[in-house]
Amino acid sequence: MKGLKFHKKQDVAIVGAGMTTFKRRLLETGKELSYFAVKQALEEAGLDISDIEMVVMGSAPDAFDGVALKGEYLLDGSGGSDRPYMRVFVGGGTGVFAPIAGYWHVASGLADVCLVVCEEKMSSCYPHPQSAFKYIWDPILERPLKPNLIWIFALEMRRYMHVNNVKHEDIALVSVKNKANALDHPCAQVAEKITVEDVLKSEPMALPVRRLDVSPPSDGAAALVMVAPHIARQLTDEPVWVTGVGWCLDTTHWTNRDLYFPRYVAEAARMAYRMAHITDPRKQIDVAEPYDPFDYKELHHMEGLGLARKGEAPILTREGVTARDGDLPVCPSGGLLGVGNPIAATMGVKACEIYWQLAYRAGKRQVAKEVTTGVCQAWGDLMQVGTVMVMSNKR
Amino acid sequence: MIEKIVDPEKLRHFPPGGGKIELYWIYTSGKAGEEFFRKLREGKFIASKCKKCGHRYFPPRIYCEFDFAETEFYEISGEGCVEAFTIAKLDLNEEPMEEVIALIKLDGTDGRILHVIKEAKDVCIGMRVRPVLKKAEDMQGNICDILYYKPA
Amino acid sequence: MAVGKKKIECPPYAEGTPLSEKDISEKRVTFFEDHPNLVYSWTTGQALSRFLEELKNGRLIATKCNKCGRIIFPPRIYCELCYKPIDGWVYVKDTGTVQTFSISYIDPDAKPLDKPVVVAVIAVDGASPNMGIMHVLGEVEPERVYIGMKVKAVWKPENEREGAITDIKYWRPLEG
Repeated sequence: MKGLKFHKKQDVAIVGAGMTTFKRRLLETGKELSYFAVKQALEEAGLDISDIEMVVMGSAPDAFDGVALKGEYLLDGSGGSDRPYMRVFVGGGTGVFAPIAGYWHVASGLADVCLVVCEEKMSSCYPHPQSAFKYIWDPILERPLKPNLIWIFALEMRRYMHVNNVKHEDIALVSVKNKANALDHPCAQVAEKITVEDVLKSEPMALPVRRLDVSPPSDGAAALVMVAPHIARQLTDEPVWVTGVGWCLDTTHWTNRDLYFPRYVAEAARMAYRMAHITDPRKQIDVAEPYDPFDYKELHHMEGLGLARKGEAPILTREGVTARDGDLPVCPSGGLLGVGNPIAATMGVKACEIYWQLAYRAGKRQVAKEVTTGVCQAWGDLMQVGTVMVMSNKR
Repeated sequence: MIEKIVDPEKLRHFPPGGGKIELYWIYTSGKAGEEFFRKLREGKFIASKCKKCGHRYFPPRIYCEFDFAETEFYEISGEGCVEAFTIAKLDLNEEPMEEVIALIKLDGTDGRILHVIKEAKDVCIGMRVRPVLKKAEDMQGNICDILYYKPA
Repeated sequence: MAVGKKKIECPPYAEGTPLSEKDISEKRVTFFEDHPNLVYSWTTGQALSRFLEELKNGRLIATKCNKCGRIIFPPRIYCELCYKPIDGWVYVKDTGTVQTFSISYIDPDAKPLDKPVVVAVIAVDGASPNMGIMHVLGEVEPERVYIGMKVKAVWKPENEREGAITDIKYWRPLEG
């Protein structure tokens, strides 16, 4: 962090976003899903595909779709024909890392209009995408024990609960809040009204994790259009500006860390906040979308992002501060727990949602208070990746 | 400092004998693919044409990749002429075999199909070929529902 | 221009055609199946080669870095913090402390297990703090496991060991 200089050629604004529905299985191929998401984003921005200068595609492991070189496969559906195109991948963090890569394209001055697309088709992995997840483990030290990926979350959740002295009831409140928030999202997969009792009684997977603590695998796609300031001025009176980006990874030696605090998220957030001149995140951030593949993860990441002190996040949730009409709304879209978890395409409920909230276009999901600054964050792999993006509707 | 291991017997591989990666994939055909295989069951071939620039796609797609406009399906004969071919002498497992694989430009489209040519004494570029399909009740809904191409 | 208005609701529509498990199993839609035959053989590298040799002899080994003073376990040939080669090998004990644990009811393919498995991260005695590995616990009731519990490795008999992490069958509590 010491030597980082944040030189850039021009500011970057977001003027359009789109996403497909998120469901467990979709008929469309990955190319068709990318096409639907891009079409919706271009419609909102008021642009045509010929206006796009460069394309960034984000998509998680090839093993889900079953197509090696997935980026190249999805090219024509993502509008990548005949223009500079690249694929980025950093596991689950791709949902916010792809817009960060789009930011590089525009901020460097190499492009004035950059399209960012994320797509995921987990249903191709039959019968369950878990079978592709098991190859993330170290082949020598971990795979012979026949682990399931849920184990690593369960181990982290137990550690978080132990160090911060948090009960499962408080963590279950997150699942209840997000699934209820998602009832207002047209693309939601598992939106429903549940209670804390339902969560605590649901099927045990790897205790303390139970079925209603987990987000489902999904198919889906999302897209964003990022432009330079002079283009943004022609298209809209209210662009949303990207004021800070940050990313940081930790090692795969996750057993050598104390899991109760995500220091890689804190590092990434520190970088993004420094760029965005944010010194007190709790006061200066109006709306947040941390990554919530599990309910305790929302609390874990809130603390990593500095939105709560260590151990304070469950208290804020219990007091209603993180509800849509609270002082610091968290996951107003319903997050991954309510809308679905198509790994990279979660950009639709993270980056796209903060954009829509700051542009006051979130419809029924719009938070009650006035919003100026928002933060979205994604996480990935063996408890390793933190990617953070700060946006603002004031320059 | 670390001692280098120079005896290859000591440098281990794990697991001994190799570890299998167990994966199983189901690829849905998508909206355009569903339409294509449905029409194939009736013995018909379809391609798609961009409503804006008129580019004729085969295999059919629901979008034009150049101007992102919608496309409409239309019928084609399924016949075409050979643009390129190769005689494959080894199969997937490197066992000997003999098969003629060709890139066939289909009439009425800007696209080509990759398939096998049988019942041909000599294959040459520009040769006209037509498809031989499976019986409708045997069709599975994938590209092998076209059994092979033969000289027209 | 299409935008600049505040009164639109986004996303305006949700495109996509959902399918159910029955659509696939009853073949109501066309699809293609593929089952690749992928076999991999991973080199264990310099550090883990020695580690697996020592496992066969019933011992655990770690590496040490003189610059930051850490005893690193599982062993590696470089210290990733100081970014330099390590300075030597050190044996560690086969006892440890449970850092965190979980009781799993599912197998690697997300199918339910008959008997739950207790998995834990165990910080090994003799290495630097927090230097743990993941392993399974045995000879203990799942309800009685707690963070901070002292455990000891239970090894396979010498003739059955093959130089793999499974040469330790499981870890059992030290107290009676």
